[in-house]
Amino acid sequence: MQLSNPEISGEQSVKIVLLGDSGVGKSSLALRFVTNEFRPYSESTIGASFMSKSITVPFSPSVRNDEGQGTSDSKTLESRQHQRTIGLKIWDTAGQEKYRSLAPMYYRGAEAAILVYDITVPASFVALQDWALELQHNASPELMLVICGNKSDLGECRRVDRGVGEAYAREMGAVYVETSAKDGQGVEDMFSGVAMRIPPLLGQESYLEEDMLDLRKNTRKNEGCC
Amino acid sequence: MTMNDQQGNWAVPPGTTANQGVPYQQTNYGTPTNNNPRVFSRNDSSASNLSYGTNSNNAAPSMGIQAQQPRVSVRSSNSGNVGIIVANRAGDEETEDGRIRNREAAAKIRDAWIYKQIRARQDEFTQYKQGRIFVGTWNVNAKGKDESLSSWLCADWHQHGPPDIVVVGFQEMVDLNAVNVAVENKSQQRSQFWVDRIKSTLNSRENTMGDPTRMYTELAVKYLVGLLICVFVKAPHKPRVKHVHTSSVGVGVMGVMGNKGGASIRLQFYDSTLCFVCTHLAAHRENVAGRNADFANVFNKTSFEIGDEAVKEVIKLGSLNQWAAGTNSVGVSDHDIVFWFGDLNYRVDESIPTERVLELSEKNLLEELIENDQLNIERANGRVFQDFEEGPLTFRPTYKYQPGTDLYEQRPDKKLRAPAWCDRILWLAQEPGHVAQLNYLRSELNISDHKPVMSTFLVTIKDVILSRREEVYKEVMKLLNEFENASLPMVSLDRVKLDFGEVRYDQRVTLPITITNTGQVVAQFRLVPKLDENTLCKQWMTVTPTYGMLIPGEQTEIEFTIGIDNLTSNALNTNKEVLEDVLILRLENGRDYYISVSGSYARSCFGMSVEELVLYSDPIRNVPLDPILRAEKYDFNAKAAMCVPKELWRIVDAIYERGLDERDLFSTPGSPDEVYQIRECLDTGASFENFSVHSMTEVLISFLSNLSTPIVSASLFPTLDIDAQNIQAFARKFLEDMPPIQYNVFIYIVSFFREVLLHRQRNKLSPAKIARICCSCLVSSSQGSPDESKGNMQQLMLHFLETNSI
Repeated sequence: MQLSNPEISGEQSVKIVLLGDSGVGKSSLALRFVTNEFRPYSESTIGASFMSKSITVPFSPSVRNDEGQGTSDSKTLESRQHQRTIGLKIWDTAGQEKYRSLAPMYYRGAEAAILVYDITVPASFVALQDWALELQHNASPELMLVICGNKSDLGECRRVDRGVGEAYAREMGAVYVETSAKDGQGVEDMFSGVAMRIPPLLGQESYLEEDMLDLRKNTRKNEGCC
Repeated sequence: MTMNDQQGNWAVPPGTTANQGVPYQQTNYGTPTNNNPRVFSRNDSSASNLSYGTNSNNAAPSMGIQAQQPRVSVRSSNSGNVGIIVANRAGDEETEDGRIRNREAAAKIRDAWIYKQIRARQDEFTQYKQGRIFVGTWNVNAKGKDESLSSWLCADWHQHGPPDIVVVGFQEMVDLNAVNVAVENKSQQRSQFWVDRIKSTLNSRENTMGDPTRMYTELAVKYLVGLLICVFVKAPHKPRVKHVHTSSVGVGVMGVMGNKGGASIRLQFYDSTLCFVCTHLAAHRENVAGRNADFANVFNKTSFEIGDEAVKEVIKLGSLNQWAAGTNSVGVSDHDIVFWFGDLNYRVDESIPTERVLELSEKNLLEELIENDQLNIERANGRVFQDFEEGPLTFRPTYKYQPGTDLYEQRPDKKLRAPAWCDRILWLAQEPGHVAQLNYLRSELNISDHKPVMSTFLVTIKDVILSRREEVYKEVMKLLNEFENASLPMVSLDRVKLDFGEVRYDQRVTLPITITNTGQVVAQFRLVPKLDENTLCKQWMTVTPTYGMLIPGEQTEIEFTIGIDNLTSNALNTNKEVLEDVLILRLENGRDYYISVSGSYARSCFGMSVEELVLYSDPIRNVPLDPILRAEKYDFNAKAAMCVPKELWRIVDAIYERGLDERDLFSTPGSPDEVYQIRECLDTGASFENFSVHSMTEVLISFLSNLSTPIVSASLFPTLDIDAQNIQAFARKFLEDMPPIQYNVFIYIVSFFREVLLHRQRNKLSPAKIARICCSCLVSSSQGSPDESKGNMQQLMLHFLETNSI
């Protein structure tokens, strides 16, 4: 891995599409993430709305700095991360069945699809599997798939086991997350997780290398890197 | 929060009420620095160290001149990091329209704004606590055995209690000879010695009384040749210390060796960032410029690689000077509070003779000496320690003593030196009220040629309430995102569902949608086809306009019209088509709106086939469009309910009733309104009103013309030229080849027209004219049949009308 200076990493743009049954909370997830709001009685989305938010994530998805008590130099060195800013362009789609045929407009060309279901509504999980199959057949094989069980705040009404969702995600090679757009649980992490898994732009790193001569003393070379 | 919340963990001077803020008045000690503008920047100073004391700008002490200079203080020195990106053009891209865009710079500027907002609101998420920091410095002249350090390190404990943080700096813990400068062994050994000595002093039985919460823990030690700095914290605070880093800078021989220089430790204490710098600056009474340069050098070169995460964290906490992330290291001035101490080596100005300095020092007459203290003079002129503060010197000069005595060095075999305040402690606080000096003293330990100096400070420490900081951060981000998302075009539509209700054959229904630009930018809209389609909507719908532009506040109507033509009604009747569609209204650079249109087709006999019409005895409107419902109601295998469609019979019957004598029958147009009503009567089974016969005849022609399959299909067209000889045969063949229902209808129509022709005297119709009418409404016109076959058909038709061949 090439360590790079965050100073010169420009914003990368990533298209994410939210898909899933009507009423599972796609718009709420987008709204929570972008404006940190929650509207309990929101109208269903007729169309496809677009929102953007820039976030900063480390270049490598592997290590997350714990905010612990670590004071030693070595620990700080280990957790040192290089950042890049990613502009998430989020397309929130209509969940109603009659608009289903319009969805390809949004997932074509997307880097990631978040398939959302409501953990209290088994039918929405069935619908999600239809979505997953549709994407398997019609979408780019590079499309990153996230399976999101929303409404985790309604744990006592849960009717789809977390294990079931996780197993399905494994089967589909997807990432599994549970979120609550209502209390915000997991929402930020889900989107930043997507952003982190997006490979950096090719130009970003090579560009860095040239410019890093006088910064090199501030960075460490990883051992075993050819 | 007061320290009471911390139940004894916080060192609080007795009798102090330490709530928000500092209970101690920030005393104006009257140091000249307070009255003069200080001009300084990290970049400037690194240049000035090349020319000792000859910098003409700095040499001019006139306030007038200084005031002209831009006031750059160390407090904003580090924003230069961001400038690298923002100020260069490496990231520039040219957009298609020729504008220049630099996303990197834009992102940096955006970050900067965010951090600035958070910093400005730090009081909202910060609890202020009071803590005490002890700073001691001593040039030990390579001495030191087992003398008690209590009178230095613990001198004020009886008054203020043990401090929260103890910082101790030494100079010359080893002889500054060439070997020691080059080899670390001795330094390491001596630093361990002193650290152990300090620890055992602080944690002596007498001090701790066995209470572990009164113990001090070593946080960091850093040495550089003769320099040593070490930081201890009271055990209960240990968990709230993080990002401890050290740094050392040699500025001695050749500008890099460690015989002179600085050793530093920085850390985050609760959520305040603290930096301690212990320096030994250039010696010799006359070398003021050298000391100034050494200071600037250490100041500029000291940097701590704390890592991006730590940098970001302190920025978020509102602590860092830097207003945007982008580096993994911080400098001295990037801290909330800096303590700078050591053997700074400043003496009393040479204008005062050595003997007088000695005399005044011995007599403890300090005023004149303070006025002529080089450090005071240099600071007053902004040449060193810009923005730093120092308390008043109330103790006698600390150098140079005869070791082992309390006498200034005056032995005849030694060089006579003017006593001086070489050993000093200064501080720099981002928030001026956050540091209050409780005392500034010297100890009388006498093993060295210097006396130790110490000072205890009451400092205001930030404790950030993460949840509240997160709230502020979110509020800032929300505000920003609102504005950023507001720069997207936004419109409101008064409705996105258009229900056209019952839509009838040959009827146009229009519903409008009002679109209003509710955003803050110009909005361009247009209807776009669905993916992989190339029409905007179904063929039965027209939209005007299909695109447009609205300035903020402007509104316009988009009209959606459904019109059912023959083709559509055919498709609707056969259930190949339904009146439902979704149109996509796209805002350029914004969201998509889906407009759902729907209507129910009010079934009509128009546009149907005679084969189907004869199946139903019910009015066609009552026959469901849905094939399953229809199958339940009607048995398609049974014999047709009628020989000819009842609708046809009803029209013909009505024309009969109204009389065939009407002049210009079949050539006078009916009234459109009546035509519509007649059609409704046919479709619903309602009885006819007193409609005119001309309206009736128009409906008859229209009914026949609009059948989904004409009565006479193209396959029945005569293939050869018809003449008098073969016409009989052709006619027979023609009728034989006709499917039964078409045959019935054909016979029925021809019979009717023959009846009409019986009244030709009155109605002025001719067989030829009727033949033409028949051809136009019964015969398929879709096959682009040549004129001659049309002629043949007319001849045949004429034959049927004029002879008894049927």
